[in-house]
Amino acid sequence: MESGFSEEELNEFKIEALELLDLGEQGLLALDNQGSYRENFDAIFRAFHSIKGAAGMMELLDLQAHMHQLESILIRVKDAPTLPRHLADLFLRGIDGARLILEGQKIQFDFNTDPGHVAPMQTAPIADQAPVAASPVAAIVAEVAVAPTPETVAQANAKNEETMQDLRESSAVEFFAECDEINTRLAADFEILIKSGSSPEIIASIYRDIHSLKGGAFLMGFGDIGDFAHNLETCLDYLRETNVTPSGPLIDVLFKSNDLIERMLKAVQNQTHEDFKKEVHALVPLLSSLLIETPILSKITQGEPMSTSPADTEISDAPQQPVATNAAPPAAPAADVHSDGDKADAGNSTIRVPVGLLDKLMTLVGEMVLVRNQVIQYSNQSDDLDFLNLSQRLNVVTGEIQGEMMKTRMQPIGNILGKFQRVVRDLSRELKKKIDLQIEGSETELDKTLLEAVKDPLTHIIRNSCDHGVETPEVRRAAGKPEGGTIRVRAFHEGGQVIVEIADDGKGLHRDKLVAKALERNLISKEKAASMSDRDAMNLIFAAGFSTAAQITNVSGRGVGMDVVRSNIDRIGGTVELDSVQGKGTTIRLKIPLTLAIVPAMIIRSGEDRYAIPQIKLAELVRVEKGATDGQIEYLQGQPVFRLRGNLLPLLDLKKVLQFKDHDTKKFVENADAVNIIVLYSERQSFGLIVDEIQDTADIVVKPLTRFLKSLAVYSGATVLGDGSVALILDIAGIAAQNLSTSQSEDAAANHSARSNDGASAMEESQEFLLFRLNSPTKHAVFLGYVHRLEEFKRSAIEVSGAQRVVRYRDAILPIYSLNDVLKYESDSKNLNDIVPVIVTQKGSQYFGIEVNEILDVFETSADIDASISDREGLIGNIVSDNEVVVVVDPHHCVPQKRNVSVVPAVRQFEASAMGAPVAMHAQAQHQQAPQEGYGFSHSKRLLFAEDTAFFRKHVSGVLSRSGYEVTLARNGEEALAILENRGGNYFEAVLSDIEMPKMNGYELAASIRKDARFKHMKVIALTTKASPKDREKGLESGFSAYLEKLNAEELLNTLEALTPTSNKSAAIAEKAAV
Amino acid sequence: MSSINSPTAKAESSKQYATFLIDDRLYGIDVMEVQEVTQALMPTTIRLAPDYVKGLINLRGQIVTAVGLRELFGLPKSVDAQSHASVVCRIDGNLFSLLVDRIGDVVEVSPRDFEATPSTIDNGLGKFMSGVYKTAGSILSVLNIASISTELNAK
Repeated sequence: MESGFSEEELNEFKIEALELLDLGEQGLLALDNQGSYRENFDAIFRAFHSIKGAAGMMELLDLQAHMHQLESILIRVKDAPTLPRHLADLFLRGIDGARLILEGQKIQFDFNTDPGHVAPMQTAPIADQAPVAASPVAAIVAEVAVAPTPETVAQANAKNEETMQDLRESSAVEFFAECDEINTRLAADFEILIKSGSSPEIIASIYRDIHSLKGGAFLMGFGDIGDFAHNLETCLDYLRETNVTPSGPLIDVLFKSNDLIERMLKAVQNQTHEDFKKEVHALVPLLSSLLIETPILSKITQGEPMSTSPADTEISDAPQQPVATNAAPPAAPAADVHSDGDKADAGNSTIRVPVGLLDKLMTLVGEMVLVRNQVIQYSNQSDDLDFLNLSQRLNVVTGEIQGEMMKTRMQPIGNILGKFQRVVRDLSRELKKKIDLQIEGSETELDKTLLEAVKDPLTHIIRNSCDHGVETPEVRRAAGKPEGGTIRVRAFHEGGQVIVEIADDGKGLHRDKLVAKALERNLISKEKAASMSDRDAMNLIFAAGFSTAAQITNVSGRGVGMDVVRSNIDRIGGTVELDSVQGKGTTIRLKIPLTLAIVPAMIIRSGEDRYAIPQIKLAELVRVEKGATDGQIEYLQGQPVFRLRGNLLPLLDLKKVLQFKDHDTKKFVENADAVNIIVLYSERQSFGLIVDEIQDTADIVVKPLTRFLKSLAVYSGATVLGDGSVALILDIAGIAAQNLSTSQSEDAAANHSARSNDGASAMEESQEFLLFRLNSPTKHAVFLGYVHRLEEFKRSAIEVSGAQRVVRYRDAILPIYSLNDVLKYESDSKNLNDIVPVIVTQKGSQYFGIEVNEILDVFETSADIDASISDREGLIGNIVSDNEVVVVVDPHHCVPQKRNVSVVPAVRQFEASAMGAPVAMHAQAQHQQAPQEGYGFSHSKRLLFAEDTAFFRKHVSGVLSRSGYEVTLARNGEEALAILENRGGNYFEAVLSDIEMPKMNGYELAASIRKDARFKHMKVIALTTKASPKDREKGLESGFSAYLEKLNAEELLNTLEALTPTSNKSAAIAEKAAV
Repeated sequence: MSSINSPTAKAESSKQYATFLIDDRLYGIDVMEVQEVTQALMPTTIRLAPDYVKGLINLRGQIVTAVGLRELFGLPKSVDAQSHASVVCRIDGNLFSLLVDRIGDVVEVSPRDFEATPSTIDNGLGKFMSGVYKTAGSILSVLNIASISTELNAK
């Protein structure tokens, strides 16, 4: 039989034993130097005693015996005034001897305590590294002067109860910490066991942990825990050796046992003196009986001392018991450690280091990086080649040290996520729900301190999801969901942050309930409640003293919770975002920064100050030279913008942001030879930052600003630069939030943390609109997707062609329509500005301009468009945003609709368009809008339309249904495919799909449909804004039958007609067919 | 400064204060709370920060926030008086450099000479004071580091 210890465990023991021996030695030497007798005696005694105990546990009997001898001699002089010289020598030799034993040597040690006796110590090195097992353990024990008996041990033990107490206290903390780790691992292992069945690795892993637990418990004198763990271990050992797959009931018992151990430990730790005997007695027989049931084996009850008899379990405070009994199994403990020459060294492969020391080291490395930076800067001015070489090497080495140093503190987040399997399992039982916890990315590493800090918030969120999120099976069934709920925890790195996402598919948050509850608890005023956006309402859950559970359960709902989560995450500089769709579930994202990090940054200058910008936020650098023809900074409503590859990039002037006195961006731009723009990513959009000079890149050590300066949102910290001066680090997100957002509400900060920008659900629901003013008190808006460009023309530049106002624009004629005229708002002739703001939009391939009074802003909303009031042609409906109503305009309605169109619904033509060739129809369609009559559609034509943007979903389906199609909507490819499979191959005539969608994009959808034989005849049409020839090609490759631009309604209708021909032209006619 | 570490017979009852002057008025901070006294270094200004925040300085690799006591106390700006020296204290784990006009001696005072802050002292300054000591030739205003920290964070 092989010894039950892994190499790792033996190594760990060895390290610990060597440390203890060193301590003992130090104590002895201190005594020699007139150190305090009492103190040092205790230290030596503790060392000897601990080694003895641990050696017994590890079944290293010779070492145990050796240490026992030393201990017994030592105890005799406990009350002596000093340690006799000859005894000190003996102990020192004894320590050397113990070291030799640890190294796998067999020694003969003389314990003669007579003064003047010079003791020989013979070592018998094992020549061929053959396992010590060759010689029976009993023989080794016999070689030692007096073999210890249980009685002597017990006596010694009793005498030293006091000392034991000290020992316990000092190492208890460590022991419990280790138990925590073990329990975490165990929980994870058990979960795997339940989920994916037994495997030798899992059993072995559980076995190992239980074993170390047993050892620790005995060592600490927690005999009953040790005994019970031993029972469990025996059972596992059997499973491990026989490879028997444990039966369901057995797993359950294992689970319960593990749980019991955990509780026993807790009780000991908190000194609650609970009595677990009953439970122990209930479980122990179960453990063995189930095993026997499985098939055979009486092994557990045979010759195993600490099995089921109650008498045994009661001798709880006799940790040395194994001494008497462990002689029985013919184990060869030392063999494992020394069977291989290399392994002797492996004992030094890990050490325990206090976290404080690592912190200190980290700080020092930070300092070193700074010095390195200064040296490099200095060396750049030097011509001394040797110095350059040296500084180069310093650079490389420092970089490596920095990298390795960071690693010492990183731990996989799985260490805490693993625990949640257990939490969810227990909760789902308690709450009678079926909940499956899926964990992804448990290998994602995070700094240990941060890991500790997110543990509680995470637990809270998961408990909340179980309790409030996921519904009971009955409710779920009634709602048409699968009975079992899912909680998905996903951890990943993104943009220098670790993101932990907890998503449940439960009932989601109910806005009205939240608001009502908040009112009831006086958290908000009535006025506020009425005007609250959905997002603000969701945010109420983070308010202190808020609990949504209708009934207070003991799982959650005590009114502390989410506010604590938020403040905990805030404290480590992270953010919490919440997204919830009623009936669909809730997603909470924790963004946890890597604040300790040394980050690469760009150093820039503005005025006389230098600032650092984390490179992670940096997209590109743009230098706009004076007089360059390829692009200049332009002004839109006085705000600088830049056309970056055809897209408008809003610009911020850092000097304006930092409120430099008398700074005028326009003047500055005009006077500068070149303007440096740093293109940055912020949470919502990219923007450009105008700076005076771009200096350098450097690794900077982020140092936090003192607390009262943290309210300055534009800075995220400070750093020391290469020349020793201090630079502030710009907080890009903070700058964006302060300067970019449209409507800054008072609780912008609250909004900030609840925002979700890239969450899938947010993508589906929120839309951006361009806000502008007309001759009307109400603000108007168009969907931003319609806006191609924003331009300003001089009124004098507008010419007239026939009755049509036009302007020369990019070598072409741009027709201009005044939205005031179209919407029949009274014109206000005295207010005619010299500058005409124009929204350039595209219809088909034709651009046209819409004149408005003033362009205000872009805003984002998740609110639905209320289409019930649209008293004029061209209005789509209203949105309520920030306490005001915004009228949404259909820009394409501006273009006058004529009826003299010849219908050209030819497939051939369509194919031409699909191939990327210009389509004749477009040109014709310019002013020849789709006819009111002319297309006929049968009522029965069913379409499936996949589109993630709510606006387009509504809009396009409106167009289609008005034209007589029956449209089924899907929000992404995955959903579309599911619907398709549900309805079968012949239900829909065609599938329309957007390209960019979450979960499954258009290409994937088309490919999936094409793959399926059932949908062989299905027409799949891409409806997209991605309309480059390359995109088309890709689309056609993926299996799209056609590739259309999103905003071209008549082309869509033509194509549909062409692809799904009908024999009879029905009377179902579009009321506003052409949009 | 060597007297800081040399325990005197009176150490039990008397207290030592690091003193400094602003507008020729004497202020003191308990020496145990003072890390060091330095020349005022050229700070990196923090734009948008309150006026009493003079900036950040690099003190041997540590970033220290410089606070102008004159501005913090709401004392009138005087043309000739420049903050020439800095008293570096650690408050709540953060290092602060308190900018003052001039550094004085370390003064040893006995509790007998202590009195509460007279009520005529304007609260703008009084809230930072924990009392006064009557010393030979002048009166020492004792600054309370904790209340400076509280005030800074409250603002």
